[in-house]
Amino acid sequence: MSIIDLTSMGEPQKDIKNQINNRLKKLQDEVSEFCYQCAKCTSGCEAHKLLELEPHKIVALLKRGLIDEMLNSDVIWTCMSCFKCRERCPQKVAPVEILFALKNIAVASGKPIPGKYSAMLQSILSNGLIQDVQTISDRNNQAIKRDKLNLPDLSKPVDTNKFQLVLSKLAIEKI
Amino acid sequence: MKKYVFYPGCVMPTEQYAYELSIREIMPILDIELIDVKDFSCCGEPMKSVNQLMTIYLSARNISIAEKEGYDIFVPCPMCHLSLSECQNILENNHEINKKINEMLSSENLCYNKPINIVNTVDLIHDIVGLDKIKKLVKNPLNKLKAATHYGCHLIRPSEIGRPVDSENPQKMENIIKAIGAEPHDYSEKLDCCGAMINTNLPESALTKTGQKLVAVQNYGFDVFVDVCPWCHRMFDSKQKKAGETVAAKLDMPVVYLTQLLGLSFGIDRNKLGLNLNLSPVDKIKFGGK
Amino acid sequence: MSKKIGVFVCHCGINIASNVDIEELIKYSSNLNNVIVSKDYKYMCSDNGANLIKDTIKKYKLDGIVIACCSPRMHENTFRGYVENAGINAFNLEIANIREQCSWAHDDKKRSTEKAKSLVRGAVAKARLLESLEKSTISVNPNALVIGGGISGIQTSLDLAEKGFKVYLVERTPSIGGRMAQLDKTFPTLDCSGCILTPKMMEVANNQNIELITYSEIENVDGNIGNYKVKIRKKPRYVDLDKCTGCGDCVVACRLKDRISNEFDMGLGKRSAIYIPFPQAIPMKCTVDENNCLMIKHGKCGKGPLCIEACEADAIDFSQKEEFLEIEVGVIVVATGYDLLDPSKVYEFGYSRYKNVITSMEMERLISSSGPTSGEILCPSNNKIPNSITYILCVGSRDETSCTWCCRIGCMSALKQIYLIKEKFGNKVEINISYTDIRSFGKGYEEFYRKIRGENTNFFRGKPSDVRNIQDRLKLDIFDTTTNKLFEINTDLVVLVPELIPRMDSDVFSRILHISQSSDGFYLEAHPKLRPMDTFTAGIFLAGCCQGPKDIQDSVSQASGAAGRAANILSKKELEAEPQVAIVDVENCSGCSMCISICPFNAIDLVEEKGKKQAKVIEALCKGCGACVGACPSGSMQQLGFKDKQMIPMVEETVY
Repeated sequence: MSIIDLTSMGEPQKDIKNQINNRLKKLQDEVSEFCYQCAKCTSGCEAHKLLELEPHKIVALLKRGLIDEMLNSDVIWTCMSCFKCRERCPQKVAPVEILFALKNIAVASGKPIPGKYSAMLQSILSNGLIQDVQTISDRNNQAIKRDKLNLPDLSKPVDTNKFQLVLSKLAIEKI
Repeated sequence: MKKYVFYPGCVMPTEQYAYELSIREIMPILDIELIDVKDFSCCGEPMKSVNQLMTIYLSARNISIAEKEGYDIFVPCPMCHLSLSECQNILENNHEINKKINEMLSSENLCYNKPINIVNTVDLIHDIVGLDKIKKLVKNPLNKLKAATHYGCHLIRPSEIGRPVDSENPQKMENIIKAIGAEPHDYSEKLDCCGAMINTNLPESALTKTGQKLVAVQNYGFDVFVDVCPWCHRMFDSKQKKAGETVAAKLDMPVVYLTQLLGLSFGIDRNKLGLNLNLSPVDKIKFGGK
Repeated sequence: MSKKIGVFVCHCGINIASNVDIEELIKYSSNLNNVIVSKDYKYMCSDNGANLIKDTIKKYKLDGIVIACCSPRMHENTFRGYVENAGINAFNLEIANIREQCSWAHDDKKRSTEKAKSLVRGAVAKARLLESLEKSTISVNPNALVIGGGISGIQTSLDLAEKGFKVYLVERTPSIGGRMAQLDKTFPTLDCSGCILTPKMMEVANNQNIELITYSEIENVDGNIGNYKVKIRKKPRYVDLDKCTGCGDCVVACRLKDRISNEFDMGLGKRSAIYIPFPQAIPMKCTVDENNCLMIKHGKCGKGPLCIEACEADAIDFSQKEEFLEIEVGVIVVATGYDLLDPSKVYEFGYSRYKNVITSMEMERLISSSGPTSGEILCPSNNKIPNSITYILCVGSRDETSCTWCCRIGCMSALKQIYLIKEKFGNKVEINISYTDIRSFGKGYEEFYRKIRGENTNFFRGKPSDVRNIQDRLKLDIFDTTTNKLFEINTDLVVLVPELIPRMDSDVFSRILHISQSSDGFYLEAHPKLRPMDTFTAGIFLAGCCQGPKDIQDSVSQASGAAGRAANILSKKELEAEPQVAIVDVENCSGCSMCISICPFNAIDLVEEKGKKQAKVIEALCKGCGACVGACPSGSMQQLGFKDKQMIPMVEETVY
């Protein structure tokens, strides 16, 4: 007995589907199976017009268990996390959170992390913040840095060794 | 004098200095004392796409640090505010994750015990300071200034996590703006996203979102665009020129932080509020009528 | 004299037998004291089961019966009948529930068999001590009360009146007619709503058996099946109904003419402070709106009320006060209808913020030739004919954040309106409809849906995220899952089809009537399939949308059904009273009145006999709920069939 998607020869991946559903239940108390495909999410999706993200299709593919298709697509990285889909869903489904789960799984399985995420991660590991203090320019094109502005010292992790140790342990943990 | 632990996050203290300057200027006037604490880190929200457990850990870590001080926490950045709030929700509702996070926290000698109040700029000013007090402090009423507000997605949604303003019809910024004499107006695109979250990997698209919203606001004839989020402000103000180029429009929209606008109405010096750091044409803002 | 008890174990097919070892249970029970015989059968409730019980009782001269089977709620009455057929008093029967409370609840056969033994053991213990009870009778008042004068209440009233019963029909508003009176045409047959409703309203007015009490509300309900006492509050109309001819001269004369929002037109039209709600109103009499009338609000109206001046019949009477009247009836039929969800609760769709976002009920009034625009469909913002109309279905319906249920009429009412709009404008007006599923389940509905599909209507299978006002147009983005494309729709008029919800005061009203509500707030039927018109309160029935959303067809069917159910009672001179009532041990009763304060049915009086105060149960009112028994501090309140001396051994044996 089997179900096969003839366009990709993909088969439902029950284990990873259950893993995602359990995670959503745990973190957001969300049950994607309740989706009835009204597409209210996609109608209002901030990323749809520009980047062709279709949240209702993400939910449908999850329900069908066709996970690899999504993990292999860049489209999961187009979500702007505006949370409109979750806010307005009549069945309390949260496509935005499914997308977070999918991206996490893609990263954990070694797929490339796009854009500046790696740099931000590196920065958090080394000084606790996504970026170090920046030099900016004011309206008259004068360079300005934090220390010129009479602001208190930046708050960041004091014991960086301990901090790094925990974060590196986190990388291999699962929710 | 009410005391709050001041949680600055990443973007504000490393780049969006105008927000921090204006906050530090107006809070004492509003009888709010901010307590600076060492050892904070990123809230984790920017890493939610990469590893959500890290997001939860970092937020829990920051809550634990604030908890030790014994005061509620003031979080001016909406993204941090959502991250910390969601973290508390998860830790309160899921024993298993709570246990796991606390095990990790213990290696930094920290512990998450119980939820604390997490306040943002908008509810701090609107609900805790109160509009009556604001009205009394106004020296330069911003009469007839037509203002558009932008709350930032993370401040308004998702309501399930408990946000400081109404998710579909937020009015607290409008009420504050009215209290200082200006005229807020609702507009159809009010709840739309600035695009900042994909600036990390798809900057062109992010700027398109920014540009589209500013074009709409400009076409409605607003005099000023008011926000409270350092991420959004970075898009609407710092990158306004680029956003205009991306959508092929001439953008000329003064963008200010709510705290800057309040400071102006209180008669505080422009530079003390960091107005020299806004890259949008804030000099266009006129006081006491046009 | 010790009892001779028989134990009967039902397999309930495999419902019990698959999880309880029947053979072992039979063996076990036959060893219990006083048990003479134990028998099992596949379906004890069947004819064969009935014969088995009857024959066994006769053969062994049994006088105590234990049946181990399903819940007593299911078949206690059935089995009482079987026991009576064998010639012994029905109250010598005790049921051991080994289905709902045993075989269905557990999955370990061994342990559930043990539990079944305990339950049977307890039941036998009680059966040893059961006494015969005699049923008393109560007389039945042959009159009926129908609450609500919409199509359901009208139909119930007419049916009961035709059967020869006197009916009091109480309506809250000035006229009967309800929601149906507001509709233009009805789906799927396109009958003119007024044309089919008005004759029925006339019938109500002319029927000698129906006493119509309009502009009145139910204040209080006391009593029980067969004998309800109902207090009704008649609101002052400030118009003498006997004198008023319904000529309408006062309406034209009123100083506030065309100044007050007309609720019948959903606020789209205006009326005077003295008004007739709609041209076909029954009774065709005027009513003064006390919330707006200057005379009532401020005590003066210019130099004098113009209505009084205009009224030749001298019918207007500002000195009227509210009146209370009490009626006695045998049954009550509740037909209080529904409210519509306020769509501004679904904020993103712009209702109440944008003038040209309206509800389907407002559209109904625009389409209606007796409506505020005389049947012209005009945009409220500018009174212009729209070039494009867009329907959004399921507003607040099937929505976990608002109302979880389906409104059952939204799809069809929208399709019907589209038909009527097409009839007026042909294809000159663009029609869009945003749907998730079209539910066209009734007779002739699917055919009607097909007709509309063939009529140049743009069906979009998808919901917009919001409705935006861009200059003078409304803009919606809808992702259509049939074409997999996002469509931007610029339109003049957006029609929201809102959810049907329970009446705002249904919580309060359910307490007045002592009836239950389901989790959605609608009134709860006694059984969703087998007793859909009954409530759990004997003698009170439901008709129409107060029980859940319905179309007119279903409402009328249920209304006639409720009339039939009610007539079953009214046609009897007397009813058998519940014999398992509370009784007072007058020796020990101190007259503390604890029982009186807790009794939900006002069935206990405090009487004085021989200088001693004591409680007295009015058997006709007692429902045998047992609340007083639990509350009595001295144990002198006992319930027949559940006396302490019967219950305590039962409990002890069950758990020993």
